[in-house]
Amino acid sequence: MTLLRNRHAVIGGVLVGFVTLLAVLGPWLAPFDYEAVDMEAVWAPPGGEHLMGADALGRDVLSRFLVGARVSLGVALSVLAITLVIGVTLGVVSGYVGGLVDTLVMRLADIIFAFPELILAILVAAVLGPGKLAVVVSLALVWWPGIARLTRSLVLSLKSALFVDAAITSGTPTARILLQHILPNIAAPIAVRASLGVGFIIMAEATLSFLGLGVQEPEPTWGAMIRDGIGALRTDPHLALFASLGLATVVIGFNFLGDGLRDWLDPKASSR
Amino acid sequence: MHHVSLRAATLRAVWRFAFRRVFGIVLVLFVAVVLTFGALQYVPGDPILILLGDQSGDVELEARLRAEYGLDRPLTEQFVSYLGGVLRGDFGLSFRFASTPVKDVLATGLAISPVLALVALVLSVPLGIGLGTFAARRKGTLADSLTMFVLVLGISIPNFALASFLVYLFAVRVPLLPVAGWGTPAQAVLPLVLLIVPAMVYIGRLTRTYLLEVLQEDYIRTARAKGLREHLVIYRHALRNTLVPLSTSIGIIFGGLLSGTFVVETIFNIPGLGSLAIQSVFARDYPVVMAVVLLYTLFYSLINLGVDLLYGVLDPRIRLSS
Repeated sequence: MTLLRNRHAVIGGVLVGFVTLLAVLGPWLAPFDYEAVDMEAVWAPPGGEHLMGADALGRDVLSRFLVGARVSLGVALSVLAITLVIGVTLGVVSGYVGGLVDTLVMRLADIIFAFPELILAILVAAVLGPGKLAVVVSLALVWWPGIARLTRSLVLSLKSALFVDAAITSGTPTARILLQHILPNIAAPIAVRASLGVGFIIMAEATLSFLGLGVQEPEPTWGAMIRDGIGALRTDPHLALFASLGLATVVIGFNFLGDGLRDWLDPKASSR
Repeated sequence: MHHVSLRAATLRAVWRFAFRRVFGIVLVLFVAVVLTFGALQYVPGDPILILLGDQSGDVELEARLRAEYGLDRPLTEQFVSYLGGVLRGDFGLSFRFASTPVKDVLATGLAISPVLALVALVLSVPLGIGLGTFAARRKGTLADSLTMFVLVLGISIPNFALASFLVYLFAVRVPLLPVAGWGTPAQAVLPLVLLIVPAMVYIGRLTRTYLLEVLQEDYIRTARAKGLREHLVIYRHALRNTLVPLSTSIGIIFGGLLSGTFVVETIFNIPGLGSLAIQSVFARDYPVVMAVVLLYTLFYSLINLGVDLLYGVLDPRIRLSS
């Protein structure tokens, strides 16, 4: 089955592509400066000059929405990159070297799994102070053990493969075995796992920003826009509703895309 | 004779298993105590100076507060007394409310948040199983596709985004429910719904997957072949066997619900532990933040322990093999 026949993957891909485009082109598409305060436009309803209306400070919601997409995706990609580097490195070392290193890394992962994720994030935010750094650090802290566990199990199943034995007996240096023989063979499943995680990372970032622990003013994020908007739902619902719609769309898109990719690579899972 | 020794061996295995789990939890809680204590040392700002505020020149008062909060003692001594205090349920003094024990600050929230999470858990399990069974029995039909679509939506929409839609619909457009607040049953409806939806949807998806797997087993074919009515096949044979793998997810779901209380309490101004922890981060009342971190880790660990033990009870194979 080609990827294009998979309905979930196509819907997800279109949504993700659309939001990515908005995020990349955001600064050029935005009709206003996202920081520009305009006291005459306070809570302006959608339509006219402000297509999505304005917020409590008269800032253009559409402009903040577009820049918010950029911030959300940026944070998610940073978290993903850090998670992959730490998780894959520790997972490979843990699986290939084994012994004490393996025990230490896996116990550490167990301990992190033993905390509800938001709790760790709050601990980090308390120490580092609320902000973008706290979000990236706490989400990376929570997400690497999953990637490390997956990588370790993949490495373990490859370690006894004939071509690895052959490389060892012919005297190939360990670093080269890891980089040239093992890594290319575990890349695909790790990539799928990572793509499944993006939606949840975006959701977690939005949650932290919603609680006020994440990205700080004046930089806009959808999470913080929803928080600001929820208090005004009764009179001016447009801020919360537009930001919620954007957030839901991007998370649904990534989840559909991830589901589609998984079914495509593992057709057995989709027949269930 | 043989049976007796087998049962004794089984019992020993169960005890060994339980002991290992309890030891694991003690280790996690100890790590949590070390982490929170360490975090308290690294948080920005001197709490005593913040407490002093306008009276920051008063050297005598400063020395007295430092002594009262135990901050004049060596670090190791502070740690031992912190650990000892935590074991007795004493989390020290609040930085925001001078000379007030943290446990008094927590009291109100402690009666709200865990209860909210538990009620949501108890309600979402049967709802989720029902939804998943509904979809699985109609696999491949339009009803199944629609249910699955709703389930994916439910898992993808963050609960605070869902909150803005629901509050707008049911409290603003059609004013059936209060917008926020805490104390009356009506005020608990929207918070509970928001907690239940993600949990229910998660359980629903798992139930559908597990049930479809179990329905392909030989004993299901046997049950059908001997003419057993379909609902008996589902409820007596299939569903019971999906409960075993489902029970392992209860811990994750409860963890999600605990996190959910932070969001829901913030939205609806509920004076629970979650909103208290967030306010305390901003008020730099770190002892309160750390106490909530410890308590939530404890709740999470206890639920996971309960699930592990339950798992052994539900599935005799696990009991015997471990």
